[in-house]
Amino acid sequence: MESDEDDFVFVGTPIEREEDTISRKKKSIAEASGQLRTLAPWKQEVRDEEGRRRFHGAFSGGFSAGYFNTVGSKEGWTPQTFTSSRKNRAEIKQQDLSNFLDDDEKAELEGNSLGTSMQFDTFGFTAADIARKQSEKEQNERPSAIPGPAPDELVVPATDPIGVRLMLKMGWRRGQSVKSSKSTHYDARREARKAFLAFAGPEDAEVEDAMETSAELPADNINQLQKSTPVYVLNPKQDMHGLGYDPFKGAPEFRDNKRSHQPGNRESGHKRVPPKKDSLFSFKSRNVAPGFGIGALEELDAEDEDVYASGYDFEAFVEEVEEPSRLAIEDKKQSSSKQHGVLPGFKAASNSDYQLERFDPPVVPNDFAPHHKFPATLEVNQKSTEVPPPEVPSPVDNNLKVLIDGVATLVARCGTLFEELSREKNQSNPLFDFLNGGDGHDYYERKLWEARQKHGDKTKPLLKEKVAPSAQKMTAETRGNILGEKPLNRTEKDLKPVVPSTDNVNLQFHLSDTFTEPASFVEPTEIAKPFQHEPAKQERFEQYLKEKYRGGLRTIDAGGSSKMSEAARARERLEFDAAAEAIKQGKWGKESQLSGQQILGASAGLGLQFTSGGSEACIIINGVSQAEEVITKSMFPKREEFQWRPVPILCKRFDLIDPYMGKPPPPPRSRSKLDSLIFMPDYIKAATEEKNTISSPQVDGKKRTNVMDVEDKVEDENVEVENVERPVDLYKAIFSDDSDDEEENSNINQQEEPVKKVEAANTTLSRLMADDLLESLGKELGLEVPPDQPYKQPQQPQETHKPTVQDIPQKHEPTTNSAAHKSVSIQTTKESNNEIMKKETKVKRDNNSSDDEKSRRRSKRDYDSTSDSSDGYRDRHRSSRHKERKKEHRKHSKHRHHESSSRSRHSADKEYRDSKREKKKRRD
Amino acid sequence: MSAEDLPKKEANVLKGHEGAVLTARFNRDGNYCLSGGKDRTIRLWNPHRGIHIKTYKSHGREVRDVHVTSDNSKICSCGGDRQVFYWDVSTGRVIRKFRGHDSEVNAVKFNEYASVVVSAGYDRSLRAWDCRSHSTEPIQIIDTFLDSVMSVCLTKTEIIAGSVDGTVRTFDIRMGRELSDDLGQPVNCISLSNDGNCVLASCLDSTLRLLDRTTGELLQEYKGHTCKSFKMDCCLTNNDAHVIGGSEDGRVFFWDLVDASVVSSFRAHSSVVTSVSYHPKDNCMITASVDGSVRVWKA
Repeated sequence: MESDEDDFVFVGTPIEREEDTISRKKKSIAEASGQLRTLAPWKQEVRDEEGRRRFHGAFSGGFSAGYFNTVGSKEGWTPQTFTSSRKNRAEIKQQDLSNFLDDDEKAELEGNSLGTSMQFDTFGFTAADIARKQSEKEQNERPSAIPGPAPDELVVPATDPIGVRLMLKMGWRRGQSVKSSKSTHYDARREARKAFLAFAGPEDAEVEDAMETSAELPADNINQLQKSTPVYVLNPKQDMHGLGYDPFKGAPEFRDNKRSHQPGNRESGHKRVPPKKDSLFSFKSRNVAPGFGIGALEELDAEDEDVYASGYDFEAFVEEVEEPSRLAIEDKKQSSSKQHGVLPGFKAASNSDYQLERFDPPVVPNDFAPHHKFPATLEVNQKSTEVPPPEVPSPVDNNLKVLIDGVATLVARCGTLFEELSREKNQSNPLFDFLNGGDGHDYYERKLWEARQKHGDKTKPLLKEKVAPSAQKMTAETRGNILGEKPLNRTEKDLKPVVPSTDNVNLQFHLSDTFTEPASFVEPTEIAKPFQHEPAKQERFEQYLKEKYRGGLRTIDAGGSSKMSEAARARERLEFDAAAEAIKQGKWGKESQLSGQQILGASAGLGLQFTSGGSEACIIINGVSQAEEVITKSMFPKREEFQWRPVPILCKRFDLIDPYMGKPPPPPRSRSKLDSLIFMPDYIKAATEEKNTISSPQVDGKKRTNVMDVEDKVEDENVEVENVERPVDLYKAIFSDDSDDEEENSNINQQEEPVKKVEAANTTLSRLMADDLLESLGKELGLEVPPDQPYKQPQQPQETHKPTVQDIPQKHEPTTNSAAHKSVSIQTTKESNNEIMKKETKVKRDNNSSDDEKSRRRSKRDYDSTSDSSDGYRDRHRSSRHKERKKEHRKHSKHRHHESSSRSRHSADKEYRDSKREKKKRRD
Repeated sequence: MSAEDLPKKEANVLKGHEGAVLTARFNRDGNYCLSGGKDRTIRLWNPHRGIHIKTYKSHGREVRDVHVTSDNSKICSCGGDRQVFYWDVSTGRVIRKFRGHDSEVNAVKFNEYASVVVSAGYDRSLRAWDCRSHSTEPIQIIDTFLDSVMSVCLTKTEIIAGSVDGTVRTFDIRMGRELSDDLGQPVNCISLSNDGNCVLASCLDSTLRLLDRTTGELLQEYKGHTCKSFKMDCCLTNNDAHVIGGSEDGRVFFWDLVDASVVSSFRAHSSVVTSVSYHPKDNCMITASVDGSVRVWKA
């Protein structure tokens, strides 16, 4: 320290510390204000503004007195020199009175305009004076539009006088007269209470406010009296009346009304209008939890909103819950709102002349069915609602019978258009006379009717064994056909109640007919379409039902198409089971409590498929929705199982044995593929890019973290270990000059002639890249990732690499079972090969690169770390360890492969799941 | 236990919280209870005598969940300040604060040995914190959830958590596997049956669902209450005969476990019932509500 000080040479004059003078000044001021008043006059000392004593007695003072009080300089009094040169003319000074005056004399001169200091300016006169002077000065300086001095009234003091400020602090408000201290005290308390109420929350405040108003009517009167001094509030003129015109002059009641419409104008007069939301303590008029706020430094955000109070009362309580207290409040609100519309001084008329004309909605006819009918199928409807033609014996001609049967079926299936078409086409054909009312027409009619009945029935999924055996004759393809023309079948559902002669199909429905309205008759079997959205599935479902109710052996592809997987088929079968049961239940329920409304609802729900804009409420009653509900029930809860690896420490804390103890680290879900990608050269990456585009951005991040962890995680047996390879490898490549390494390299060189050739071509390139390598090395030392293998140029042809690459692993890992190795999927071989390949190329490039480069690198390394030898040792050590690890890694990859094969059964689901997770992760 | 024995009579009202009470929990033997609320405090009560014993203040935001060890020596709590607090009961000091959740922490539980705290957060993760070491880093993060994790339960070998993504996930430490039961509805709260075979999940479609834990099968659904937008608790009685759930209209519902019929329901609070907790042995129940009170109910 001392030596340090010796070194310093001080040049120039030290700057006087500001603090000293300031403190002295402060002291003087304090003394001036404090002492002057308290001390007796003879004890007071006069000091200058610097706080120095100025006047001395005859025998005191000495040098200081003479020096400071007389001339003010060390040298004594010196005359001012007069200099004037040709270049620098002495300016002729305009002499002034002030030139001959001392400071105190000047101050005295100023003092002839006596004023109160701001401190004691009780009524603000001085401030006003100063302001006026200021304005005058300004006026002089710049001419304004209005000449002459500004009128006094316009000039207002800029600050509040101290008296006003004091009174404001004591609770006085502008516009109030100064009354006894008692009332102001009361006022202050009232203000405080109001603030508190606002603090406590809007609702309570309201209630208590109401209480207050009732209790404080007399107090209010006093208030009115107190507001004696007028406050001039300059309101912007917003109306279109003339200046000074008061439209409410004769009718002040209206003014109140108007004011209540204008929220901004409640300043004067109406102090009682409670500022509900934007009171002092309710933060930004948001819903804040009552009772307490947040800290001053914290931001108020969404979390602080009082979710429990937000509008809940209006949502749920009013709708669903009858709570007496709530209702009472509601009533009160209503009554108040009723009062609101009436002007004060008026009351609502009991009978008004003006009658609001009301237009009743059009009456819905009773037979109105709330669904859309398509015109094309209308005819079918009409036809089908006809009284069935009597049964007619079939024509004698067997050919004609067959023909009629066929045509009838077709017409029933395809609609009357087909009939017309064939009629036109076969007009001349005598065989088709039956179409035009000729021979066999009656039989045709009958057949057509039957076919239509059948057609309508065949979608019935045969819920009961009783249900028409004819329907069971339907084949899958006809059903498919039918499903193609859903609208056709659907419209048949409002069959008029007919009395079918012998058709036992409708027999059971006649039972229900007696309970229901004729118009809304529904075939309950129509309801059983739980899979309307998927025709194929519906078809399978019907097939399933058929088989179920027919009993007996199941066909081969029962319950699902052959295309489906076993699992999917099983799932579907479960679904069908549930659906069938639901339908049965729904039907049962319907039969047991047949209410017309329910069926109406059901029909509306069915119509919904076509109208799509129909009432959704009906669906709830609908059997379909029931079925769906059951299906969702059967789908949820859905159980899935994943592998999950608890951390060893967690197992320890739970006093459990780690299930993964000693086992290799598990492949992280959905990461296994990605990891391999990290070290893939560009061309393979490009090939797989399409598959993994989603995950590619993540790769970099992951890689970075992995590499960053290299230094401290080397010891750990971790998933990341495999990624560690690269930097370690790099070090090895650069720094280790072990003999074994050299041997290895030479071996490789012998083995990899083609590679070498390619590499020879790349030598120059690699030399060029050496600098880049250095850079990347530096980055790695700084724990950063070098850019992803920029030297892997497309110059290296794929073909030359592949064979060599496949040789290497066997060379490197003699312990690895080659057979097992081969069984590894191409993906894994590729990845591992690529890793190794990269390593080799790196090594080789290093060999190729000249020695001086190597040494250069090492020197750089030396620069970075102090101990070279130990470093080298560590590198060697590491490299050997690294080899072991690599073997391990290979095993892992095998393990992983097995696992993946075992998982392949759920692979579809899992991959979907994984991708979902992946996405989620990415979101994070 | 018949329906008459259900705790329907108000025995005590524990008042002291300023603002909503978000959680109320009995301790292991049921002699004391803890409550936490929007006033950022945790309060320790004797519910049977209606006495307020202690207040724990350190949370910077609302307290959403609290749990006490079986030896009554430590408390863990969590809330809006994204931290899990580890308290000493007797001194009332915070021993440790576990930071790491990226967002509010919804639920927290000790494990059997009070050595690990597992917390469930709005940040879609479960985090396990080690109470034995001095590290404040989580020892494990489970982030397979797709949405906010609302509730967590621990058994001796498993971590069970319910999430808004509709799943109840069971992390079996012993087996090293994760079972995910998708309920299709956001799960608000889960509660284990006392025999440990079932898990009761309160879903946001105003339905409580009882799942069989071994098969993942849906055993029963309990409806009638309102639970659509708030984090509300559900629980089972100590003999697993009834299911208890609060409602957003301030009612408390009792369902029969087997036939899912509403055995009883009564108005317990004037506002949302945020939490219910059942006494481990007696017919006693505490409920907490947004109205700021904790009520003790006895048969």
